[in-house]
Amino acid sequence: MRTREDVQALTARVLSRVSAPEAQIEYGFTRSLTTRFAENAITQNRGGEEEELRLTVAYGSRHGSSAINTVDDGALERLVTRAEAIARVAPEDPEHVPPLGPQQYPQTPSRLDPRVARMEPGAIADHVQHIIGLAGEHGYVASGLMGATVKTAALATSAGLHAFYRYSKVELSTTMHGPQGSGYAAESSWTAGDVDPDAIARRALATAHSAQAPRAAEPGDYTVILEPLAVADLLLFMAMNLGAREAEEGSTALAGTLGTQLLSERFTLTTEIDDPRLPAAPFSDDGLPSRRIAWIERGVPRRLHHSRYWARVKGESPDPSLFPLCIAGEDRSVDDLVARCARGLLVKRLWYIRYVDRKELLLTGMTRDGLFLVEDGRISCPVKNLRFNESPLVLFRNIVGLSRHGYVNNFMRLPAVMSEGFTFSSTTESV
Amino acid sequence: MRDFAEVALDVARGAGAGYADVRVVEERENRVYVRRRSLQLIDENESFGYAVRVLIYGAWGFASSTLLSKDSVAATARMAVATALASGKARRMPPIVMAPEPAHVETCVGPCEEDPFRVSHGEKADLLLCACDAMLRVPGVVMTMGLLEFSRVHRIIATTDGTCVDTTNHFAHPMLQAVAVVGGESQERSYQGGARQAGYEFIRSLDLMANAPRWAEEAVRKCTADPSPAGIMDLVLDPDHLALTMHESVGHPTELDRILGWESNFAGRSFISPEDVGRLTYGSPIVNFTVDNTMPSGVGSWFYDDDGVAMQTFPIVRQGLLVGLGTTRETAPLIGGLRSAGCCRADGFRSFPINRIPNLYMEPGTDDSVTPDTLIAGVDRGVYIQGRGSFSIDQMRNNFQFGGDMFWLIEHGKVTKPLKKVTYRAQTRQFWGSCDAIAGRAHWKPFGLMNCGKGEPSQRMRMTHGASYCRFRNISVGEANA
Repeated sequence: MRTREDVQALTARVLSRVSAPEAQIEYGFTRSLTTRFAENAITQNRGGEEEELRLTVAYGSRHGSSAINTVDDGALERLVTRAEAIARVAPEDPEHVPPLGPQQYPQTPSRLDPRVARMEPGAIADHVQHIIGLAGEHGYVASGLMGATVKTAALATSAGLHAFYRYSKVELSTTMHGPQGSGYAAESSWTAGDVDPDAIARRALATAHSAQAPRAAEPGDYTVILEPLAVADLLLFMAMNLGAREAEEGSTALAGTLGTQLLSERFTLTTEIDDPRLPAAPFSDDGLPSRRIAWIERGVPRRLHHSRYWARVKGESPDPSLFPLCIAGEDRSVDDLVARCARGLLVKRLWYIRYVDRKELLLTGMTRDGLFLVEDGRISCPVKNLRFNESPLVLFRNIVGLSRHGYVNNFMRLPAVMSEGFTFSSTTESV
Repeated sequence: MRDFAEVALDVARGAGAGYADVRVVEERENRVYVRRRSLQLIDENESFGYAVRVLIYGAWGFASSTLLSKDSVAATARMAVATALASGKARRMPPIVMAPEPAHVETCVGPCEEDPFRVSHGEKADLLLCACDAMLRVPGVVMTMGLLEFSRVHRIIATTDGTCVDTTNHFAHPMLQAVAVVGGESQERSYQGGARQAGYEFIRSLDLMANAPRWAEEAVRKCTADPSPAGIMDLVLDPDHLALTMHESVGHPTELDRILGWESNFAGRSFISPEDVGRLTYGSPIVNFTVDNTMPSGVGSWFYDDDGVAMQTFPIVRQGLLVGLGTTRETAPLIGGLRSAGCCRADGFRSFPINRIPNLYMEPGTDDSVTPDTLIAGVDRGVYIQGRGSFSIDQMRNNFQFGGDMFWLIEHGKVTKPLKKVTYRAQTRQFWGSCDAIAGRAHWKPFGLMNCGKGEPSQRMRMTHGASYCRFRNISVGEANA
């Protein structure tokens, strides 16, 4: 694994070969171990590492790019030759923006855990063996994934920018299947200490145990309590629609909503970079410094994402990455939300979500791995999975309660959301 | 390269591997992406790497690298051995046994008449810029997108069984889309022809420039069209649309690894059980599905899969009855199979090969006189759907809901007006069981899919589907907007 100095020397070596007036070189390195298991056995076990270099050069507004994954003199020569050859013949791009010069980056805390970098396949297999053992003891079948990854991202430009970031990620997810129902749990973090295989396995087992022998539930409008994992899946689609340009073109649901009371006053959406649990890079892919951004405050959209080009057109400042994305929570547990629910559905996980109508932000998808009927403030029984056709705008407009936040997929901090009038349209026998 | 492979295989044999393979993958890629009148991306990329896969005492190990020297290859093989020994801590019982496959030694090159890497970048960019410009000239169109993707994949697979195959395949994948806004409504319309194993000649054959204004006009027309009707009615579906329907509801449920529960944590399982083969009614008696991994220009026609198994043709559904499954050398023996069906694929050198949907198509109707118009004439009230749109299916592949790219109301046997926001929902076997007519061979069309997601870490895969126009009776339409 190259040091910061080695990477800087490598990117400088590439830039020194470039004759085009503008150049940007991106460096990436990934070392990963991933172990998959299913039916109480390891089914795949892999490891590897790889570097990548991506070069973009420009002559005026004509640009071209190239990428390689081997680093030797021949490959570096091809990298530069190809990018320059493309740029010389490319048509002018009216939206071209030149590469950034030196930037002032925030001092985000380190998200590199040496324990993750040193993790061996045998140690991962030990954790998997433990999870499988627990499943067997309780009469369930375990499947899942455990992985350990170390990544480096670096950026350098002909205008003098140098950026470098290294981080680690450990992830574990597991599904426990019983004869008539399943449960799922997952954690990921930059540090191994946050991912407790025993606790994760027991959480999945508890859900699976409760999910056995589901009853049929009629499709219709329900009060729902979506756990953070399910909220995250819907929020991602909303995040894809936060573009300022697309809103101005009129093709997204956020068009014309700035400053209006679009969602519940309980809903606040921000990008946060100072949570020590979330791996916020100090810079975005395009080199912009990361910063806190309030997108939606108390239900009112305040800011849409401006790319560097669109910011120039509109006379705005450009926005870095949306992630880590956070919804503010409230001081109560998921159990407290259940206790407040007269009749509704507790949703553990969603699956196969797709647009039905992009402009309305209408989505469809299925529940899976634990769907429960809540009656009179308690979980009364598991129910068969349902298909929903609903918009996250409706979910976040009709909020009646939020829990304390949890962390999802290492890039989101979200509460469980209790909301009214969530539409389910059909059922399935699949468990 | 053979010498390097032998270094890895020797390490594996020395560690007691019952089976091992080395897969070297060299890829070239060229992409051109236009948004409105801006050439946002034009690039040419290369990647090289290899993976060593070893089976030791019935447990898998796998390691990949981009460093090619005898020392690096040996180190990568030792890493694969270490992961196999770790896997042995939670070995499947009975231990993995690979289905036998004859040793193959062959060099094969797939179809490519005009090398896309020799076509000028300027020509490709101009095509997309002109097509997007033509669409933007249609009043109401606010955004257009065009993409050309070309790749050349060169693989060398050497196994301890004596196989050493060298394959090269080219893939061409275009996309073109118009987004219109009229009043408060926004709708899209896209190129729907899919990808092909071919060179640049495939792009030339499509005449994207001539079609672009029509797609743009139809996007605008959709904005002011009536919304979907709701209720139980008949559907006529075109081949481009059916490609995705069969992918989700026939292709994935018949992957044996899903049936065995190996995708439980992410992509899901299947409603099928191994005992269903030869017994389960999957569709009406006119429904026949066939796997053909030798299909000319099929994007899944790779000569050999990543187990080193020769590509094959076999039935999946015959006269409505489930008769076959997609299998690999690892999965086939678990249901008593004597040979893999050749469905083991990885999306790159760094990925562990898994059970994948092959080229899978629906046979055309046997009556050549049946045409799309015939099918529509037999519908009193229903919807004719063209192309792919929204798609979602549950993790056991039962309940699905699909949209489309263009919709037309059928009234009293005639197409009467365009519609928007149409979805239909069905259960897999109910849906295929409701197929009552299929147009003849002249209307059959292939569709290459380039981005099927499966596995953890996620992998993208290519396969070609195909169908003629079909009619389905009594399907629930319009639930999404009800």
